[in-house]
Amino acid sequence: MRTKVAIAIAGAVLLFFAVPARAHHAFTAEFDAKKPLKLRGTITRVEWINPHSWIHIDVKNDDGSVTNWMVEGGSPNALLRRGVAKETLKAGMEVLVDGYQAKDGSNRANGRDIIFADGRKLFVGSSGTEAPDERPEK
Amino acid sequence: MRGRRWLLVAAASVAVSVLGQAPAANKASAWTPPKTLDGQPDLSGYWTNITLTPLQRPANLANKPFFTPAEAAAYEKETVERNNADRRDPGTDADVGKAYNDFWWDRGTKVVSTLRTSLIVDPPDGKVPALSQEATQRIAETRAAARGHAFDGPENRGLSERCILWATAGPPMMPSFYNNNYQIIQGPGYVIIVVEMIHDARIIPLDGGPHLPKDVRLWMGDPRGHWEGNTLVVETTNFTDKTAFQGSSKDMRLVERFTRTAPDTIMYQFTVNDPSTFAKPWTAEIPMHQTAGPLIEYACHEGNYAMTGILSGARADEKKSAEGGK
Repeated sequence: MRTKVAIAIAGAVLLFFAVPARAHHAFTAEFDAKKPLKLRGTITRVEWINPHSWIHIDVKNDDGSVTNWMVEGGSPNALLRRGVAKETLKAGMEVLVDGYQAKDGSNRANGRDIIFADGRKLFVGSSGTEAPDERPEK
Repeated sequence: MRGRRWLLVAAASVAVSVLGQAPAANKASAWTPPKTLDGQPDLSGYWTNITLTPLQRPANLANKPFFTPAEAAAYEKETVERNNADRRDPGTDADVGKAYNDFWWDRGTKVVSTLRTSLIVDPPDGKVPALSQEATQRIAETRAAARGHAFDGPENRGLSERCILWATAGPPMMPSFYNNNYQIIQGPGYVIIVVEMIHDARIIPLDGGPHLPKDVRLWMGDPRGHWEGNTLVVETTNFTDKTAFQGSSKDMRLVERFTRTAPDTIMYQFTVNDPSTFAKPWTAEIPMHQTAGPLIEYACHEGNYAMTGILSGARADEKKSAEGGK
C-alpha cells in the first residue's frame, strides 16, 4: 500500500514536470466553470500572500444581508515589482469581480476580472511596467 | 573513472558551445569578468532567466536554429498575444484555468538574446531526445498507479502545489511564468544560488569533495562545483525518484556551467546525463540577465489556502457524481 501511494506521488510529480502548468495550482480543480458569478462588493481586507493573494469583499445580497467573499488572485511578487503597493487596493474600495465560484460551494471565487467601481480594470495589461525583461534593448 | 567521465562531458560541452556558437556569445568572449575578494570570477548579484523561448524547438521552426531579429519580433508578438490571460472565453475550463488577469503574470516579452529558437542547443534539432524503453515503461507505470488518485490527499498533488519545489529551482533552473529571479552569493569555498520561487537556496561546495553516499537522495540533488577558467561547473547527482526533469530518473547526472559573458549576462548551460532515460546526453543554454533586487519573499506553505480548496473541490465533485451528477 505504502509503495502504491509512493508511486502515485511520483506519477503526480512526473505530470507536474512534464506538462507546462498554467498557474501555481490547478484552478479548474478548485473553481467551477459552470458557476460563473459577478460580485459587486467593498473590500474588507487584502491578504498579500504567496502562493496567491486573496481579496476579501463584503457583498450585499438582495435581501439586504451581507456575505463576505474571498477572491483568489496571483502571486503578489510580480505586482510589487510593478509598483503595486498595499495602498493600491485597500479596505473600503468598491470592486466588481467577474469570476467563478469554488466547487465546494463556499464563498470563494477566482477573480478572472476585477474592475473598480468607476470601470477601471484592475491589474489588466502589462505594458509599460518596470518588470525585468530578458533581452536588454540596444 | 568518474573524473575521466566528467572530463569527457566537459570536453563535449565545450565542443557543443564552440560548434553551436551563437553570435552574442562570440561577441562577449573577449570580456573578462571581475573577481570577488577571494579571487573567484564574480557571478554575484541578481539575475533572471525569463524568456519566451521554449525548451524545445517548435515544429514549424525545424531546421531553423536562430531567428532573424525581424522573425524574433514577430514570434514575440504572436506568443505574447497567445499567452494573454486577459482574453476571455466565458464558462469554459480554459477560462477558469487562466486564473486571473495578465497583470499578475510575468512570462516575459522577448526570446533569448542569442535569438535561438529553442533553449536546447544539442542535439541540433533542438528537441529532447527520445525516451528509452525503460523510461517509457517507468513513466507509464507511475502514471497508471497515479490514475484515479490525483486528489486523494495533499501527498498526491504536484510538488509546486505542495509548496515543495518549483521548476525555476530545478536543477536545472528553468524559466516559468513569474518570479524568475535568482540571487547568486559567493564566499570562500561556496557558491549559493537563492531562487525566488519557494525561496530555495542551493548551497554548492567548491571543495572538490565526493558526492554523498548513493542512498542519500535530495529534492534538488547533491551539487559539487569547481571553476574551469571563468566558468563555474556544477555537477549534481543524488536526485530523488519524486522529481523528474523531462522524464529523467533519480540517477540523472546534471552538469551546469555558469559563465559571465558580459557585465549584465551569465550564460547558463546545462547537460542532462541519464543513460537509463536518454541514449545520449543533451544540452540547453539560457542567457541570464542582471535584474534589480531584492528577491521578494515567497513564503508559500503558510498561505496555501488553495490546497484546501482543491481537495474540497474534489470531494464536492465526488459527492456530485455519487448523487448521479445532479
